[in-house]
Amino acid sequence: MSYVCLWSPSWPTGAAFPAELITDLLQHVPRVRLGAGGRVWADARGLDAGALALTLVDVAHRHGYSNAHAGAATTAIAAELAATQRRIPFTIVKPGHDRDFMAPFPIDVLDPSTLLDHLLDGIGVETCGALAALDAASIEILMGAEGVRLWKLARADDPRLLFASPARALPSASVDWVDYALRDAERLLFVVNAQAATVCDALAAGGHRAREVSLAFALADRTEFVHRIRSARPTASQKAWMRLIRTALDRITLPDAVTGVTLCVESAIGNDGVQGDLFDKGFASAPQVERAVSQLMDDQGDVVLTPRNSAHPLVDARTEWTREDPAVAATSGERGVAKAQSGARPTPRLTLQLVSPPRPVSVRTAERRDHQVPVQYRDGQTSYAIVDAAGPERVSGGQWEQGGPYAREYFRCVREDGTLVWLYRDAVGSGGGSQLAVGGSQLAVSPPTVLPSYRPTGWYLHGWWD
Amino acid sequence: MTGAAAQDLLALRALLEERFPDASPITRRAATQLATGIAQLDQALPSGGLPRGRLSVWAPHGGATAILRAACQGILAVGERAAWIDSVGTVAGAFWDDGPLLVRPSSRLNALRSAEELLRSGGFALVVLAGAEPKGQETVRLTRATRDGGSALVALTTHAAMSALKLTSRIQPADYRYTRTPFGDPAEITHARVRVDAVALGWQAHAAFVLPVTHHELRLSLEPELADRRGVSR
Repeated sequence: MSYVCLWSPSWPTGAAFPAELITDLLQHVPRVRLGAGGRVWADARGLDAGALALTLVDVAHRHGYSNAHAGAATTAIAAELAATQRRIPFTIVKPGHDRDFMAPFPIDVLDPSTLLDHLLDGIGVETCGALAALDAASIEILMGAEGVRLWKLARADDPRLLFASPARALPSASVDWVDYALRDAERLLFVVNAQAATVCDALAAGGHRAREVSLAFALADRTEFVHRIRSARPTASQKAWMRLIRTALDRITLPDAVTGVTLCVESAIGNDGVQGDLFDKGFASAPQVERAVSQLMDDQGDVVLTPRNSAHPLVDARTEWTREDPAVAATSGERGVAKAQSGARPTPRLTLQLVSPPRPVSVRTAERRDHQVPVQYRDGQTSYAIVDAAGPERVSGGQWEQGGPYAREYFRCVREDGTLVWLYRDAVGSGGGSQLAVGGSQLAVSPPTVLPSYRPTGWYLHGWWD
Repeated sequence: MTGAAAQDLLALRALLEERFPDASPITRRAATQLATGIAQLDQALPSGGLPRGRLSVWAPHGGATAILRAACQGILAVGERAAWIDSVGTVAGAFWDDGPLLVRPSSRLNALRSAEELLRSGGFALVVLAGAEPKGQETVRLTRATRDGGSALVALTTHAAMSALKLTSRIQPADYRYTRTPFGDPAEITHARVRVDAVALGWQAHAAFVLPVTHHELRLSLEPELADRRGVSR
């Protein structure tokens, strides 16, 4: 039994409802709620619903409502009908019989709209049982969304959530001392360690994992210093939290000696397990992966990343790296299977690897019909001969963007050792690139022509294919 | 050799493999393998792929990244996980295929720490360490973590100490295939022929195959066969 509904046709509704009646009811049941139409709902989960219904009716009678009725059922709609449609003091619907109980009641008890009421009359459906016997597809085609809602109610399928889970106080631990002030970090850590044990035990007992905790230090100058610590992965492990707290204490500087510490959980989530597939190769190791990724992030910051790409013409300005969620990282195998099932086949292909930022190089060029192509370049102390060069491919823009305009001439060059490299000539930068020619041949500098504000400055190695 | 001596030799070999699992050659097929997804390469490699629980070393360049990335995707396709540790930030986000865990540590030491952490978790079938070369005791630590976690670790490095399998891939300048402009200049590089040499204790093999080249979408010319000549000096 989940719900007990108490109702009297004579008691006032809305703001005029007698508050003292609710107060008296709360002495017998921990959760009571006043619903629409003067229905009083009691949460009977874990209680003897029959005895509770009888008690609540007695309480109502004592307040002068001798015509009060109570109904107890697993679903809210059955309990409501038991209280409002029966003329006996209390009705208990046996678990699993809610639909049978509702079957003889006329459709009107479900409060259909006038249009739907006429429609149901037209097809000869008069009772909840007759409506419940129809199939869902016919109802959906004939009566639309409202018809489906009514059909579900007639089948005792009531989605109402009358009593949400109560918000619980999050665990915390506090220590104050008055006869001395603490300046020793090790002793402070000792105190916090004991508090962390208390808090983590409380979390584990309540089936919770903390996402964020706060450390509030009461200082000798009567001020308070609060520092929040967030874990990449919610946990109730004292060891994990102490590692984070130790790292945090190494980084912060307290302005005065400490006279008290409060460790408080700021946000927590449930300890629910995840349903999985036994044939999923990665499922068994998912918690370990999540833990390992969280540990990496706790130790090194946001190092597990995923790219978010824009349509910027420059490859190096196209990507914004965002932090990968450890829980998402643990499901990469599942996503890979889904991708494979959609028909995507992994194909190896030589892909551009970036030198970030582009490295200045010295380039010797040669004339090819109407343009210059690189034939040799020097990167540091090493010189590379270029066997073949495709290009130039020009990209320019950014006149109205932050960072200013850019104009580059890109070449894909095959080196003599077989590496395919990506060189570009910066035609707009203000120096910084090397303009030295190798071997004294033709210099990679030509007078500005098309755009007078552009002047060729230097060559850069921007990447290679691998 | 007599029957008894042969039995003793087999027993000794089994004992050595049990006591020193890293010392036994992978050609003994004691390790399970991880297919790269490239048939020609898998046929050439001992046991048909990269050895699990062992360190393999692949010399950088020559298509190593392309093959290992495809291997990562192939592993994901069968429901396992792969991680790529990019310690020098060469991965271009625009050309990164979603799936493998991408770790971009700030230093060489952090890259090695990341590799050890991921290997020890036991949740990754393949971990690729790019741009960070383990040395001396670092290699020992990584090898142990690899064995404990059962992953295949591939380091893109030329330092081959303690590795069970050494791979080298190379592309010769003549191995590239181009499309050309009407003037005969190279316009697009479309394919490249890659040759892979694999060496293990007392064993070596070769494989050759063709890889397509991904383009970088910079071309502004309307005709794909023509180079963009706008703004050129005349």
